[in-house]
Parts: sequence; structure tokens; C-alpha cells
Amino acid sequence: MNENVIQVSGKSEISQIMREIARDLLQQKTVSLVIGWEKGILPNKSAPAFITQSHDTDKLVFDEYCYHNLTKYLLQRKGSGLKTAIFVKGCDSRSLVGLVQDNQVPREDICIIGISCPGLMEERNTVIPAKKCETCYTSIPVEYDFLIDCPDTKTGDDEPGGSFAHRELSKVENMTLDQRDTYWQTMFQGCIRCYACRNVCPVCSCKECCFDLTSPDWVGKGNNTSDNSFYHLVRAMHVAGRCVSCGECERVCPINLPVMLLNSKLSLSIEELFDEPPASMNLDDTATLSQFKPEDPEEFM
Amino acid sequence: MKKVGVFVCHCGTNIAQTVNCEQLAEAAKTLPGVAYSTEYKYMCSDPGQTMIKKAIEEHNLDRVVVAACSPRMHEATFRKCVNGAGLNPYLLEIANIREQCSWVHSDKTKATAKAEDLIRMAVAKALKNEKLTPSVIPIHKRALVIGGGIAGIQAALDIADTGYQVDLVEREPSIGGKMAQIDKTFPTMDCSACILTPKMVDAAQHPNITIIAYSEVEKVEGYVGNFDVTIRRKATCVDPVKCTGCGLCSQKCPSKTDSEFECNMSQRPAIYSPFPQAIPNKPVIDQEACRYFKTGKCKICQKICASDAVNFEDQDELVTIRYGAIVVATGYSLYDYNQYGEYGYGQYPDVISGLDFERLVNASGPTMGKIKRPSDGQEPKTVVFIKCVGSRDANRGHDYCSRACCMYTAKHATMVRDKIKDSQAVVFYMDIRTPGKNYEEFYLRAVEEYGVTYVRGRVSRIYMESGNLIVQGEDTILGTQILVVADMVVLATAMEAQPDAAEFARKIGITFDQNNFFNEAHPKLRPVETFSAGIYLAGACQGPKDIPDSVAQAGAAAAKVVALLSKDEMATEPIVAEVNTNHCSGCGFCVPVCPYKAISLKTLTERVHGSVAWGPAGKEITRQVAEVNKGLCQGCGACTVNCRSGALDLLGFTNEQILAEVDSL
Repeated sequence: MNENVIQVSGKSEISQIMREIARDLLQQKTVSLVIGWEKGILPNKSAPAFITQSHDTDKLVFDEYCYHNLTKYLLQRKGSGLKTAIFVKGCDSRSLVGLVQDNQVPREDICIIGISCPGLMEERNTVIPAKKCETCYTSIPVEYDFLIDCPDTKTGDDEPGGSFAHRELSKVENMTLDQRDTYWQTMFQGCIRCYACRNVCPVCSCKECCFDLTSPDWVGKGNNTSDNSFYHLVRAMHVAGRCVSCGECERVCPINLPVMLLNSKLSLSIEELFDEPPASMNLDDTATLSQFKPEDPEEFM
Repeated sequence: MKKVGVFVCHCGTNIAQTVNCEQLAEAAKTLPGVAYSTEYKYMCSDPGQTMIKKAIEEHNLDRVVVAACSPRMHEATFRKCVNGAGLNPYLLEIANIREQCSWVHSDKTKATAKAEDLIRMAVAKALKNEKLTPSVIPIHKRALVIGGGIAGIQAALDIADTGYQVDLVEREPSIGGKMAQIDKTFPTMDCSACILTPKMVDAAQHPNITIIAYSEVEKVEGYVGNFDVTIRRKATCVDPVKCTGCGLCSQKCPSKTDSEFECNMSQRPAIYSPFPQAIPNKPVIDQEACRYFKTGKCKICQKICASDAVNFEDQDELVTIRYGAIVVATGYSLYDYNQYGEYGYGQYPDVISGLDFERLVNASGPTMGKIKRPSDGQEPKTVVFIKCVGSRDANRGHDYCSRACCMYTAKHATMVRDKIKDSQAVVFYMDIRTPGKNYEEFYLRAVEEYGVTYVRGRVSRIYMESGNLIVQGEDTILGTQILVVADMVVLATAMEAQPDAAEFARKIGITFDQNNFFNEAHPKLRPVETFSAGIYLAGACQGPKDIPDSVAQAGAAAAKVVALLSKDEMATEPIVAEVNTNHCSGCGFCVPVCPYKAISLKTLTERVHGSVAWGPAGKEITRQVAEVNKGLCQGCGACTVNCRSGALDLLGFTNEQILAEVDSL
């Protein structure tokens, strides 16, 4: 039994263990920052917490409202060599693995405290289970230094067609060409180009995003259907093969657009075409579209 | 204010007959940035070029667009021309209105409209063109030849004769390659060994050639002028310095295995030299066949060796050597005819390949040069030859023609008629291809003087009946089925790429075609160069070839190597990728996509601003960014399309230039 795996009997005990681990790490100066969650100002919302003092660790909580994938905050300490401890759920752990694979975060600088996740509630309707949990590939983090192992974990429905994304995708795929065109046009028309989906995405780790550049001016900066479509399609291609379906893009969208749908389609296509596991399930893997294998299919050549 | 000059070429009537050049020149005058525009019958001619130079001076042009043929054809010509007028050559832009317009269209109005678009795009790009300057890299004056067949030996000799050092790497224990196995050579019927072995000896004795036998290239790093090549010297278990080459060990070795050199038709010892004239003439131990390596007991060779040269502890050794240029001459292998069910899947011992036949007629071969069929050692009276086995057969073999088979089959049939009294030689063929000097005469001699029977048609089946091979085929000239009772059948099997050709090509960074033959840079005008500067091709690794062609190509490759090594340094093409380190996030995705291994990550140190208290605000951080080695970069652009933030840009084809072209449409 690994001494770094701490068994708890139920999800109510998770927060207490979190505080203990965080306190020890800060007291022993193993890390200078712990990133976790604290109670939010609204009853059904928890917020990211950044703790640098051991006496502040009692703020930490884990409940079904800890939606935030915290891993992207690590980019703000990129290159500093500072050691950080971070709490991750199963889905978050995959985006952290992605950041390590993308050479953005050195694994040795991060102390990963995994929580085997009992599942979340929907953010805007806090009594129903979160949609994204239906597509969950792993409730137990794929990479960790400490694991808070809770027996109540829930992994997604792995029956094909069972999950929300599958259902939504097949709905769109079964539309006629005209219907599908209307569906996407409506979605892109609704977008206000606030870039929240990009800003929250842990896979969008570019130092300068191509949509912010003015030279060359890849995409018009105005808000119109044409440029909006271009934005969403380019972003889908840029995260293809690396998206971990953490669902943050869709959660933060102020217009409630199905932003994840394109990404889900690409993820499924890549799994089918290359017969590869989902992205970032293993630290030693390389993202499917970022590697070259002599035996890769070459039908398009 | 940038001033663009547009020069429209008629290319005689090549362009002018489908494109209205006068109208183009007029229309170009209205384009933004265009200060001067004109047309002329032959822009590449001397008066045409003078016209461009004069216009640059008179109108103070600082960008030039030439609307003419493909940049592959004359970009270099016009770059030189504008450079002569004092402009940086990379400020020139070509609009290809010939290959991409006049040659492929017939409607003059529409073609002219398209040509106008092409010119508009070229002008938009030219306005964004920047001056580019080549950088200079040093040349290391030593060459590597990979493969010690006739092509490799010839290339090594030709380079060495000009005074440069050459290393010749061969993976077998001896140089010589396939030619050493061949008995006679067409069309002159010279003994192959008689013309090859003197060259092998020349190579061995040449002061500038080092033969590195029983070794393989493991890794190639670096770039033109500066390749760092790691070579694996396989353990020979025989000290080449102590060994005198007396051959006693081979005579006494109790372990026997099939001899590859004799096409498995006889046995060789485990400690062996492949053939009597082998160079280097020092044996090696085949560890898979050796009794000591298999059982831990024996060591007879060690006991018997008077000079104590056998060393069972010998290990593979890796050496890294720097070279300025590389000649790849890795040769070919032969199609495995066992895939042909109708020829018996290889189960009839008397159905053999052409190379088997070479060993059967060779005086030093398993039958001492007497043609005896493998099954019972009898002299065959009727020998059937089947051509195009695996060649020109898309279903089971290759689409291509193997080029040498028509000639060597004629040679084999002649030898059967010559050596065996009362014999009959029957050749089944699809076509006779004899496009070489004295080749047709050689074939006619086989038919007319030696009475070889040629039957035009494919063999549909070979089967056994009462101990005889029955060859069933069609004579398409007579339109009848024929049966031949044969004592032996010789298959002219296709030449194909070495089984590890693709893997090897990736290792050293060259490209290969659908048949795994290595790609030349241009099929007509750069036949011995590869797309990787400083790496050249010789012999059948580039495509099926006979001996004269291999030798000629080896000489050509050597000339290219010598031309390169004769310089102390060389200018590099400035159209290379460049990294904007401000935009680069160091994800490193460009590193594996680069086919030339030109990109690596380096570490930057910089002071950062930050917005959070727990970040490194105001402190120094280190981060990784991509770095392009300009010597290695070939300007293919694979990295630039892979970079999400556009931090990589191809100079001369920047994202901004391409977008300007698109936007102008």
C-alpha cells in the first residue's frame, strides 16, 4: 500500500485530509503555494484558493461545487522554479499531465494532490449532476504525489452513446446539411467573442494566442458570424488531440453555447482514426497529433 | 513608398497564345505599389534581363515581379538579374503564368483574368518581401560512403583520387556487394570478379580510403558540411591487426550454416570470409551460427590461431565521426518469388532465381561452374527463363520495370546454350527492353547465334508431373497455350529496395518513394542529389540500375561531393524558418515534425511582470523556446504550420506574405 494514498471513508472527510496535507507541505517549505478550493460567497459555489501560509489552510474545502480546473493557474508561475502544490480531480489531473507534456510545467516543480472524485453538480442548476461527469474517463487522477482516495467515486458512462456528449453529437450528426448549417450558424452568431473559453482552457497554453496577434491578422477582431466561426474552428483544431474534456470552456461560456461539442467530435475522431487512448491519460505518452510513427495511416497521402 | 516593377514575359508563344500579355502589363499599372510595368517576348534572354536592370535604375524600383514560367525554372536567373542591378535577390517575386496558367487553359479571356489574379497576388507579396542574406557555414573535408557495392566503391575511389579522405562503411564482412556474386557481366561477358576485385583492392590500398566493414550507420546528426555520424562497428571477434588472414580457422570451424553469398546453396563455417577475394580479408565470427556462442564450448578457432587473433569477448563499438558530405549507396535486394503461388511458392527446388543461377555458373560457386540443378545435381537440358517476376506486376510485386532483367536473362540463356551440349533455353517475356549501348545486339546474338527460344507471354503455372517440371504458358503471338517440360526454371526476380530502406532513410533524413527507393531532388536535373543538402545517391538504392549506370551515377555523386568539399565554407539558403521567441511558448511540437532535425529547444532567461502576488513578478524566470539551426533547415515550412501561435515563420514565405497574397484575391 502506498503511504501517499490516504483512504477516507466518505466524501465528507476529504476536506479535512486536504487541510492536513497542505499544512504539512507549507510548514515543511516543500512548496510555497497551495492551489485548492475554498467556500465561495454563494452557498452553492466554491472558489479557487491560493494559500501561501500554513495557518490559512483551514479555508480549503472539497465539495460537489469545486468545478474549477485549477491547473491553468500553474502557468502564472511558469519558469520561476517555485514549487507548487495543487489539488486535482480526475479530469483536472489529465490537463495537468497535458501541461507537463506540452513542456509548460516541469513535473518536478509540482506536488500533485489527487482526489478520487465523487462527481460534481451542474454549476447553474446545482441539483443535477454535472453534464461533463458523464464523459468522465477517470475519476481517479492519472498522476499524483498524494491521493485522497474516496470510495464514492463515479466514472462516466462508458457505453457508446450513453454520455451527454455522445447524445448531443449524434443529434447534430443526424441533422441534414441545412439543419446542421443553421445549428452552427446560430451558435457562432450567438458568440460574443469574450474569449472566456480560451482563457480558461488548460490546453490553451500559448504565450501569445494567435487570436490576439495583429501581425499577421489571422482573424478579424470584430464580432460577426464569419470571424466567430473561424475563431471556434481554429480553436477546435488547436486543441485537437490534447483536449481532455474537462468541460471548463462550456462552464464559463456566458451565453451557454455548446462550446465543447466540436472538441468532443475531434477527440472521438482521433481515438477512432489513430486507435489511441484519450489525450493525456499517461505522462509518458505524447499527444497523438504531435508525434510521428512510421506505421501511422497514410490514406490521405 | 515601395515601388514595384512588373515584367510580363510572352515566353515566345508559350504564354502569349493563351494569355493577353499586353493587357496584363496594362492592368498591372493600376495595382497598388506598381510604379512600372512592361512586357517582352523572352524576359530570360539577355535583352529581357537588360530591360529589367534598366527599369530598376530608371524608375528606382525596389521590388520586382516577373510574370513568367515556374520559379523552379528561372527564379535563380531573375534573382541574379535584379542582384546585378543592386537589389537584394529576395525582393524578386515570380508570378507563374505559364505552368499554372497558359499551359493548362485554352480560353484566352479567362486565362488572362487568372493571370491578372496571379500577378496581383505576386505584387501583394512582393510589397511584403524583405531583404534576406545567406549565412556561411564551414565545410568539414571528409566524406562518408555508405554501402560497399560497386557504386559505393566507385564513389569512394573517385572522391579519394581528388585528395579527400573517404570512409567506406559496409555492413557485410566484405565490400563487393551484389556484383561480387555475379558471374559474367553483359553486354561484353567480362568476368564480374575480374573487373570488380581490382577496384576492391584499389579501395583497400588507397591512402585516402578507410574501409569500415561489418559496420552500420546508427545515427546521423548535423547538417551539410558538418554531419556527425555514429557508426556501429559490429563485434567481429577477430583482431584485424593480429589476424594474418591465413584462413585456418575457417577450415577447422565445426559449425556450419547456409552461405548467404552462395544463395544458401552451400555451407560456410561460423568464422568466415564470405568469398575468397573478400576485402578486408579477415574473417568474422557469426555469433548466431558459432557453437561457442550457442553452447559455451568449442573455441577451436582460438586454439588453432597462430597469431592469437580470436577474441570472444569482442563487443560492438560505437564511433562518431564528422563528415562534410555523405554518399548513400546502399543497393537493392531481390523480390522473394515465394509469393508466386503459380510458380510453386518456392517449394520446387529446381525453380531458382537469377542470382542463384549466377552462383551455379560461377567457377568458384557451389558447383564449380558446372550448371547442375539443385534437386539432384543433374545437368539440366531444358532451362526455362521467366522474366518480370515481381516487376511490372502491380498485384503481387511492383509496378516498375527492374531494367536489368532482360539483359541478364539473355546472358543466362546464352550461357546455358554455350555450356550445356544439346541444351534448350526458352525465355518467356512480356517485352524485350534493351536500351543501352550494345544491348540490343547482345540480345539478338542470344536469339540468332545461340538459338535461344523467346516466347512472348506469361507463364500461368509451373507444376510437377512424373518428376518433371511442366511450365504452362501462353504464346500470345501464336495465340496458343504451350507446355514446356523443363529441367530447371530461372526466375528474373525484381530488384527492390532494401528491406530496411525506409527506416534507414528516416535515420539519416532523406526521403523515399512509394517503393522505398530513395528520392533524388529532381528526376532529370538533380539526379544524384537528395532533398537534404550534402547527401547524395549512387546506385540501385535510388531505383533499379545495372552496373554501368551505377558506376556512372557513383562518379556523378563523387563529383558533387568533391565540388562541395573543395570549398572552405558555403553560403546557406536564407529561406529558413525563424522563431519569434516573444511568441514561442516552448511546447516543442515543432521539434518532432522537422524532417531535418533542425529544431531544438534552448533556454532563455528573462525578467517578467506578473499580476499575482504568488507569481514570479519582477523576478527572473527561465523558459524554453525553439531554435532553428539555419544550416540544417531546408525551408520546408512543416514547423510553421504546426505552430499554434505562429511563433515560427518561414523567411521569404512569412505568414504575413501569404495572407497578403490571399487578401489580394
